[in-house]
Amino acid sequence: MREARTEKPGEAVPGGIETVEPSKPPPVLLNAGTSAAVTLCLATALVHVLLVFLHVAPPNPLSRQYSRQINAWVFPLFEQNWRLFAPDPESVNRQISARTTHTTPDGRVRVSGWFDLSGIDDSAVEHDAFPSHTAQNMLRRAWSSYLETHGDDDRPRSERALMMQKYLTDIAVDRITRHRGGAFESVQLRVVTVPIAAPADGSGPGSSGAAPKPVDTRYLSWWKVTSHGN
Amino acid sequence: MEIERVTERPISLYAAAVLRIGYGFLYLVFLLREFPHRDEIWGPGSPWTPELARQLFDQTGWLSILTLSDSRPYFESCYALALVTSTLFMLGWRTRAVSVLFAVVVASFHARAIFMTDGGDNLILLMAVYLVLTACGRRWSLDARRTRRQASAGKGPAGPEGSGTGELRHQLAASRRTLTAVLHNCGMFVIAAQVCFLYGSAGLYKVQGGSWGNGTALHYVLNLDLFRPWPELSRMADEHSVLIAIACYLTVLLQVAFPFVLFGRLKYPVLTMLLGMHLGIAVLMGLPLFSGAMILADAVFLPDRFYRALGRLRRRTGRRTHSTEAEASSCGEGPLVPPQPRQAPPPVPASRRSSAR
Repeated sequence: MREARTEKPGEAVPGGIETVEPSKPPPVLLNAGTSAAVTLCLATALVHVLLVFLHVAPPNPLSRQYSRQINAWVFPLFEQNWRLFAPDPESVNRQISARTTHTTPDGRVRVSGWFDLSGIDDSAVEHDAFPSHTAQNMLRRAWSSYLETHGDDDRPRSERALMMQKYLTDIAVDRITRHRGGAFESVQLRVVTVPIAAPADGSGPGSSGAAPKPVDTRYLSWWKVTSHGN
Repeated sequence: MEIERVTERPISLYAAAVLRIGYGFLYLVFLLREFPHRDEIWGPGSPWTPELARQLFDQTGWLSILTLSDSRPYFESCYALALVTSTLFMLGWRTRAVSVLFAVVVASFHARAIFMTDGGDNLILLMAVYLVLTACGRRWSLDARRTRRQASAGKGPAGPEGSGTGELRHQLAASRRTLTAVLHNCGMFVIAAQVCFLYGSAGLYKVQGGSWGNGTALHYVLNLDLFRPWPELSRMADEHSVLIAIACYLTVLLQVAFPFVLFGRLKYPVLTMLLGMHLGIAVLMGLPLFSGAMILADAVFLPDRFYRALGRLRRRTGRRTHSTEAEASSCGEGPLVPPQPRQAPPPVPASRRSSAR
């Protein structure tokens, strides 16, 4: 109803406004500006939805062709990933431990025992209805990001890989300092990957056979830390 | 006409209000829950040091108010600002301005601890950004209460009329109303599409996984140490392999079907089942924040008449149980006319009145 009224081109004489009735159409300029803004809003919303769809969808010819535009729009604010436990949930638990070295004043190097970093998280989560992000996400995501940037090799090949190594070191150092204390100059991580056993009854034609996967143990290299403790 | 509906009337104002209250509350609870860990997550003492965060921002283009300074007092004041902003957003005080602040706060905290976030945080961030576009403060808010009081006191939102400037102001107000409505409707559309993409992709990626197909996926989920706050409960659930398989299939079906059932009555049973699923995730996996964010996102699809009925129900039960309390508070509220704003919220008539002229 109002739409029909606004489409009528009214006289744009600003001086004439004073005497007219309240039903007088709004000035053309204002009218045009409003319409333009409305169009812009609708177009932006549609384009946004389309670009987010292409970002969320698996790679396809369309998203490959416009990847530059999609990334420019979506990153970083609208980045998203909804592969929640998909295509398959993780079928392993990781137990990450750390040990440290300390050089005594007489020049001998002492290697500490293993300190269970994941254990802190596990016991923090247990019997807590609202576990902290520090327990559920910090070490877990630091390690998965390390894996993403390093693969099976411990040599960092990118700036991001170095950053993830630094992050993991910091987490280990923080936790050791807080829970065990003592002076140390370098730290080594050990990641034990324990597969979750397939369901007990009739494993069926699942992708994994009946044979349980072996426990995998990975030792990372020693990382120097700015000396702690003393 | 369709176009007119998009440009004239903001849709689903109650759903928008529920999102505002819900996400504001959720973020407040999250901040308070992490109070003992705030420095470890967002502060200068985090293992993800401010230096690392800034280095990453240079690569990704993120910005955060938290990396502007490494001093502890600055961080503490940012944390306090986040608490206050979430509270005010939840209450709907000067909503449009506060919603911008809320989005800035959520984005800043998210970006600062990007390697500690999960799907729930991601969803809250997206919603915080989208809610800036919406008129989420029109219902169930302090702003709405103020408008109502002004209306009952006789000074409506429209200024004095008759003079030339009054006429121009009226036209500008009409134009502004149109733009607000369009922006709001676009925001709600984007939110709805976003939730559909979420479920659609979550479901379709699961279809590609073998464990969802053979009904064992949830067995693995139940055995993840970090998502097992009640091991006895998880073990108990894990023993029922048939139920697990049914739950696997139901999860995938619900998620894939979600975008397609929204336009019919079927959406009510689907939303109810999703609610059950999220409650299960919240308790069994210890992910209340994630589940809360998802439940709120689902709530965007409930129509205004549902929320109005809910409001009436709440008022009726509230009147029955706290009748004395309500009386006391309405006395304290001064010149508010109690019976008038009870049934239909007046902001609609107020805006209709001025556009009908």
